[in-house]
Amino acid sequence: MTYQSRAQWQLRLILLPSAALLLALVIWPALYAVWLSFTNAALVGPGAANPRFVGLRNYARLVGDGDFWNSLMVTGLFVLGSAIIGQFVLGLVSAVLLNRPLRFRAVFNAIILLPNAVPEVVAGFLWISMLAGGERGVLSRIVMGLGLQPQDWLNTFPLTMIIVVNTWRGIATAMILLTAGLSSVPKEVHEAAVMDGAKPGQIFRMITLPLILPTIFLYMLISTVSTISIFGFVYALTRGGPGGATEILGIYLYNQSFTAYQLGYGAAVAVVSLVFSLIVGVIYVRALKVEV
Amino acid sequence: MFKKPLLAAVSLIALTALAAQAETIRIAEHRQARIDALKAVAPAIEAKLGVTIEVIEYPAPEKDYMSKLLTELGAGNAPDVFTVPGDSDVPDLATAGYVAPVTEAFAAWEGAAHTFDVAKSLATGADGVMYAVPTMLSVQQIYFRRDVLEKAGISTDQPKDWADLMARAKEIKDKTGQYALLFPMGASWGGGAFGEGFQYMLAGTDTPQLVAAGGKLDLSSTGVKDVLTFYADLVNADLMPVDPLLGPEPWVIPKYEMFPAGQLVATTCGTWCYIYDWGPESKNPIPDVTKAVGTWEVPGKAGGNGHVMVSLNSPWLVNANASPLATQVALELGSVAADVAYASRLGNIPARRDAGDDAEFQKLTALVPVLKAVENGTYLQASAGFSAVSEGVARATEAILRKETDGAGAQKILVDYVTDVLGPDAVQ
Repeated sequence: MTYQSRAQWQLRLILLPSAALLLALVIWPALYAVWLSFTNAALVGPGAANPRFVGLRNYARLVGDGDFWNSLMVTGLFVLGSAIIGQFVLGLVSAVLLNRPLRFRAVFNAIILLPNAVPEVVAGFLWISMLAGGERGVLSRIVMGLGLQPQDWLNTFPLTMIIVVNTWRGIATAMILLTAGLSSVPKEVHEAAVMDGAKPGQIFRMITLPLILPTIFLYMLISTVSTISIFGFVYALTRGGPGGATEILGIYLYNQSFTAYQLGYGAAVAVVSLVFSLIVGVIYVRALKVEV
Repeated sequence: MFKKPLLAAVSLIALTALAAQAETIRIAEHRQARIDALKAVAPAIEAKLGVTIEVIEYPAPEKDYMSKLLTELGAGNAPDVFTVPGDSDVPDLATAGYVAPVTEAFAAWEGAAHTFDVAKSLATGADGVMYAVPTMLSVQQIYFRRDVLEKAGISTDQPKDWADLMARAKEIKDKTGQYALLFPMGASWGGGAFGEGFQYMLAGTDTPQLVAAGGKLDLSSTGVKDVLTFYADLVNADLMPVDPLLGPEPWVIPKYEMFPAGQLVATTCGTWCYIYDWGPESKNPIPDVTKAVGTWEVPGKAGGNGHVMVSLNSPWLVNANASPLATQVALELGSVAADVAYASRLGNIPARRDAGDDAEFQKLTALVPVLKAVENGTYLQASAGFSAVSEGVARATEAILRKETDGAGAQKILVDYVTDVLGPDAVQ
C-alpha cells in the first residue's frame, strides 16, 4: 500500500464517525419521514397499531388543504419580513456602523448579541409580557405615553409582531456574518476610491456591496432555510394563532402530527417543507450564480 | 471450607433483598392541583398494595400533556398508569393497543358495586370491554352570573329551548352591553370545543349520538348541523367573545378574567368552576360564588327536559405493557379517599355513590347536590375515531369563529376532515 492510499484510508477512517452520525441522525430520519408520508401512521387509532401504505393520499389531501396553503403563505411572509428584510437590513447597518472606529464598540456588540443568549422559549415569554394587551404590556404603556390607545399586539398585528421578534433575535447572526464579509474588503480599494473622489454612499454601493455579495448570499441562504424551520419561539408566542395568522410551516407540521395525531400527514408536510427549503437553497446557490 | 456456605448465604440475602424491594409503579400526572391530589393519596396506596409509586409530572396544558404521553406510548416508554382528558379519548387509545383491559379486575374490585351505572357505561366500549377506570365525572351545564342578571332585571329562569336561550343571550347583550354566552370553540381550545360545548348541545337535538347502528360515525345528521348553526348565529350576533378564542390558551381571558369581572355573563362549565375556576382554589375568585353564579341545564333544541352532561373526567388507564399490579393501583385511585382528594382540589364529581357519605366530601357543599343528580345525566357514547371527530369539531368551529362559514359549511368541514383522516368507510 502506497503512502497516499494509506493516507486516504486514514482520512476515510477519521470521517467515519461523523458520517455514521449523519446517517443515523439526519439521513435515516429524513428517509423514514418520506416513508411515513406515504402511510396512514398516527399516534392513536388503527394507524398507530398497524400503519399501512396509502400511496399519495396524504399529498393529495395537502393540495386541497386550505390551511396548508395559508401556512405556506404565512411562512413566505415571515421569511421575507424577518430574515430577508428585517434581519438583513438591520444586521448590515449594525455591521457597517460597528466596523468603524467607535467608542464603546464592545458594549454595542454585546447588546446586539444579547438576544441570542436567551433560550428561544424564554424569549417568547419575555415578548408575551412586552406585547400583552391592555394597560399592562410594556409596548402598550409606551404607546399610551405617546397618547395612543393600548393594543393587544399579538392579536391585532400577530404576523408583524412575530416578524419583529424574529428580527430582534436574528440581527446578531446577520451582523457577525456581514462583519466578516466587510472585514474581507481590502482597505486599499476604499482608499483608492476616496482618492478618486468617490463619496461614502458611492463607495458603499459600487465597491463594498458587490465585494460582500457572496457573504450576503451565504447569509441569505442560512437565514432563509433556518427561518423556514423555526418553531419554538413562535409556538411560545402565539401557538400559530389567532386563527392561523401565525401558523408557519413548523407549527402547522407540529399541529398535524402531535395535536391532530396524524403522523403520516405531518410527515407529508415535513417533506414538502424540505422540498421548499431545497428549492430556495438551489435558487440562491445556482440561479444567482454565486459561489458560496 | 467455608467458601460455599458463605456464597450461599450472600446469595440468599441478595435474593431476599430483591424480593423485599417493592415494585415501582410509574404514574403520569399533570397540573399542580392534580399532582397535589395524587401525592396526597399515594402513601396510602403504597402501604395497602406494597408498591412504590413514582409520580411523573407532565406539562400542564392538556394538549402538551397528550402529545408527550402519546409519543411515549408510541415509543413504548410511557408510565404504567395515566389519565386521558375524557372518555372520548379512550377508544382510540384502545384501538392503538396502548392500554390494558380492566373489565375483570374492575368487576372484582370492591368499588364496582358503588360506581354509578352511567360511569360504567361511559367506561365500557362498544365491544363490552372496559379500558378505563371511571373515578371522576364531569357534570357540565351552563353557569350564569345571577347577580348581573338580577341587577339588570333579566330573568334567571331556566331557558325552555334553544330559541329561548338565544333570546336571553340577546337580552343580556342589549341590557348589560356585555358578552352573553360562551361555548368553547376553535382549534386552540383543543378537545374543549367538542367536550365542553358541542356534545352538550348535540344531546338536545333529534340525533343525540354520533355513532350510527352499524358502528359508523354519523356526522351528517341534522343535530350536528343544528348545533353548528346555533354557534354561527351566536358568533354572528356578536353575543360571544371571539378574539380570545382565536389566541393561545383561549380559556384564560373569558373564564378567568371576563366571567369573574361580569364582562361575560354565561358560559358552559362543569362543577369544577365552583371550586377551581371561580371558587376557593381560583386565583380570581368570585365572592360567595354559589350565590352569585347560578346554573341552567342545557335546554333541548325544541324544548322538553333540559339536561346536564355527564362524562368521565380524566379516567385512569393502564399501560398495556404494565404489570397487573398497575391495574390494582389504578383501581385504588378510584377509592373514596382518592376521589375526595381530587374533588376537593378540582371540583369534579366522584364516580361512586358512597363518596356522598364521606365527611370530607360533605364539606364540598357545591358538589353534594350534583352527586345525587348524576344518574339523570345525559351522555355521549364514545367510539373509535372520536379523536378525529374532536379535532374536526375544533376546525369546524374555528371557521365559524373566523366568520368564514355558516352551520352547513362548518358541518362540511367536519365531515371532510374526519373522512380524510379515517377514510370513507368510517363515516356514514
